[in-house]
Parts: sequence; structure tokens; C-alpha cells
Amino acid sequence: MQAYGHALVFITTLIVFLFVLWLVRRRAIGERFAILWLLIALLLLVASSVGYPYLFVIAKFVGVPYPPSALFFLCIAGLTLLIIELFAWVSKLNDRTRVLTQELAMLHERFDREVSRTEP
Amino acid sequence: MNDSPASGVGNGKPRVLAIVPAYNEAGSLPTLIADLKSHYPQYDVAVINDGSTDDTAAAARRSGARLVSLPCNLGIGGAVQTGFRIARDEGYDVAVQVDGDGQHPADQVHLVVNALLETGSDIAIGSRFLGGDGYRSTLSRRMGISFFSRWLSAICHTRITDATSGFRAINRRAIELLAGDYAEDYPEVEAVLVAHRAGLRICEVPVQMAARTTGSSSIGGLRSASYMVKVSLAVLMASLRKRRPAR
Repeated sequence: MQAYGHALVFITTLIVFLFVLWLVRRRAIGERFAILWLLIALLLLVASSVGYPYLFVIAKFVGVPYPPSALFFLCIAGLTLLIIELFAWVSKLNDRTRVLTQELAMLHERFDREVSRTEP
Repeated sequence: MNDSPASGVGNGKPRVLAIVPAYNEAGSLPTLIADLKSHYPQYDVAVINDGSTDDTAAAARRSGARLVSLPCNLGIGGAVQTGFRIARDEGYDVAVQVDGDGQHPADQVHLVVNALLETGSDIAIGSRFLGGDGYRSTLSRRMGISFFSRWLSAICHTRITDATSGFRAINRRAIELLAGDYAEDYPEVEAVLVAHRAGLRICEVPVQMAARTTGSSSIGGLRSASYMVKVSLAVLMASLRKRRPAR
């Protein structure tokens, strides 16, 4: 990769990393995802800067002919992990809303019954 | 909780809650509730209004049944489970599901409840394919039902002929299990598997069903295919899940 292209990759990952950091500071991302996002952003940052030469070594070692594609692989693996985590979380939220909906309906019915008993 | 509109408490007879899930069934509800009340004055009847957009709530209220209105549509599983939770919290001995669309005739309900009590099973399924006559659905649906019935029969080592029937009575043990674990969309088939895996006993009893009188089925056309796939996957996934033995 040319120095020019390399700088682009590095700056992009740096922006992503800083953005995640900013979101975490503002508590815009919950702890559950913040840790994962930070780890992924950090991994990419290292892989695209000081770790880049080592990426070549590792890529060659595991038999990836085009080293930058090792970077892609890391990205996709990280994003896949995040999406799975997201699905698990959405499922959990769905279960919780279902229970809440049911409990709310049951409480509402009890409340109506109490009211009609005290106010004839 | 003892403030339920209770009937038959303390006289040794099992307390039965009839759960009527209803989604836009204002047309068929009044007759159904009136029939239930005249046939079984000893049962409590709870209509679970699953976020209907028509007059289901008003119709249920006029009929004098208990009305529990879900603030948004949860699907048949979530609605029926609400009934199970009420049965669990208020200490009912038996919960029987009677669909709000009129497919489960009121005069058949005691057959399912009695089968549960007499056989000592935990779940009694009303089957339209065990002798008797009455409405048996279309050919394509019968094929689908037969597919799941054979599958469940093989897994549970019990003869099951109407796996998708929602006309069911369950006892205290099953109430406690299913109040906490009941599928959302098409729960009938999966629930049998969940119950079997928890060590519950399942039996079937012949009943007659009617073609729905008003409204439209939640399953039709392309959705039948999606039903088959979804339920098959659900059964496979339920087999993968960790066992949760019933208390």
C-alpha cells in the first residue's frame, strides 16, 4: 500500500476511534456495546498504524497473499461480532417488552376492577 | 392474590380459567362468551384482547367476561401466555384456551378439561382428527398438521394427531412452565415439545371444531408456507435449547 493510501486508512480508523470515545464519554453508547466498540476501534487503529508491518508478517504466515485484505478480514470479523451481539440484545429487549406488555395489561385490569369496586 | 372474580374456591373442585385470545373478533366474541357462560357457570372467563383495532374490547366488556387488554399486539403466543400468567398468579388449577374466532365451540370445552382431569395428564389437546366429525380444515392444511403431528408423535412417544390445535387445557404444572416459556408467533407445536422436554404428560381427546364464523385466519396463502418453515425451525431450535425441568 502506498504511504498516501495508508495515511487514509489510518486517519479513518483514528476518526472512528475518537468518535467511539466521544460517544462513550457522552454515555451515548451503553457499557455493553462500548467495550466491544472500543476494542474493535483500538484493534483497527493498531493494525493500521504501528501494527501494520506486523500485519504483513502475520498475513504472510497465515497465507494471505494481499496483506491489506487481512485488515478487511479483521474489520468484517469485528463487525460480525457486533451484529451478533446486537441481535442477542434485541432478542432480550423483545422478551422484556413482551413481559412488560403483559404485566401492564394485567395491572390495568386489576386497577379497573378496584376502581369500579370503590366507585359504584 | 385473592381478589380475582373467583368461583368455586375451597369446595374441592378445580378452579378453571377459560382463556379467550381475541384479535379483532368483535363479531364472534359475544356469542362465544354467552355460550361459555351458560355452559360453564363454574369457569372464569378471561378475554385477552391482543391490541385489536375494532370493538373487541367493548364487545368483551358487554359480555361480562374479564377483559385484559394488551396495549399493543403481541401475537397469539403473547396473548395466550398472558392468560397463563393470570392463571399462575391467581392460583387456577386448570387453564383452557378457547379461541375467540368461534372455531372452538363452547359445548366442546368440557371434553378437553375433563380429559385433562381424568387422565391425569399435564396437557390435553382437543383433536379434530380423532374420530368424531366437524370441520377439519382444507387439504393443504391437513397435510401440514399431519406433518407436525407425526414429528411430535415421534419425539414425544405419544400419539398426537392435531399438533397445531390451540384447543387445549393445561394443569397447574404446565401453567407454571408455559407462563414462563411460550413462543411468540405460532406457539402450539413448540409448546408440546417444551412440555415434553420438561417431563410433562400430554394426551389428546376428540373434539369437533367449527369453521371460523367471522374475521379471517392469521394463516393463509403464502403465509402457510412461511408457517411450515418457521414452525419447523422453531421445533429444531427448541430441541437445541437447554432443558428446563418443570417444578
